[in-house]
Amino acid sequence: MSETRSVETSAADIETAIELGLEELGVTRESVIVEIIEEPSRGLLGLGARQARVRLTTAAPPRQERPPHAEPLEEAPPPAAKTHRPAPSPKPQPVNMDELDDDARVGLATLQELLEKMHIKAQVEVLRAAAEESETAPWVLQIHGPDLGVLIGRRGETLSALQYITRLIASRELQRRANIVLDVEGYKARREKVLQRLAQRMADQAVRTGRIVSMEPMPPYERRIVHLALRDRDDVSTESVGEGSRRKVTIIPQR
Amino acid sequence: MKELIEYIAKSLVDDPSQVHVTEVQRGASTLLELEVAPEDMGRVIGRNGRVANAMRILVRVLAAKEGKRVTLEII
Repeated sequence: MSETRSVETSAADIETAIELGLEELGVTRESVIVEIIEEPSRGLLGLGARQARVRLTTAAPPRQERPPHAEPLEEAPPPAAKTHRPAPSPKPQPVNMDELDDDARVGLATLQELLEKMHIKAQVEVLRAAAEESETAPWVLQIHGPDLGVLIGRRGETLSALQYITRLIASRELQRRANIVLDVEGYKARREKVLQRLAQRMADQAVRTGRIVSMEPMPPYERRIVHLALRDRDDVSTESVGEGSRRKVTIIPQR
Repeated sequence: MKELIEYIAKSLVDDPSQVHVTEVQRGASTLLELEVAPEDMGRVIGRNGRVANAMRILVRVLAAKEGKRVTLEII
């Protein structure tokens, strides 16, 4: 892909805004041009506070020539190769290929077929997510490979579409909901950390100014991360407002 | 691009034999026409067009690699 992409983000400070933009584009800091559209300002007496606004534009990366057809996908690396890697709970755990149940097997086969048809050369690692409260831990199909930013897309849009189609096909084959989630090079985990930090900062801002703070519109999965991040704070409450793709979290200071 | 849409559509419909994808080249843009049995239209469109949109997003990745634009129409 030789075209450049650009994205505008805003956050309480410039660094956070840049971080958000990089996550959205799925690229690293070195491969973008950062323009600061608006400096953040605290405002006077909590009035007229402005968020930092930046625009990130991807520089066309030097592309190595690829063969027109992707080579066959490699199998997920054997789990033996990663036993030495520290994997503290509740991180997803690597699993043995023979431990996979139907959900994981069908999901993996579907995803590999889709990636091959998309001419994406990648390896898929199967992990078991940490179980959350009452639900059964989903299988995580973690996609690894070079230049997978295209698979994440703007605001994770491509990753969402890939997950949706993979689940739909797998669920149809299984005749029940396939308990799988997809990720690309740990994008979701990184994004979760960014959102958690941002949520705390925005909450601090809400408390400091005594005003409701609205976050950028986000998909349901990301709004949930923000709600959960602030659940244990008693100085703020959170609420989602707006419809459809404009739905966003607002942080309300408690008195 | 055709193979990707064909694979997804055939995996989702009741009657895969009626799935046909034609690829029409117009310079730098490609038009993909997806044809399915009338009873299967809902499956490839999805609620609020969600399936169709997801297919468009995925096929765009492929088109971008070739420096092309792609349109997917369900007929």
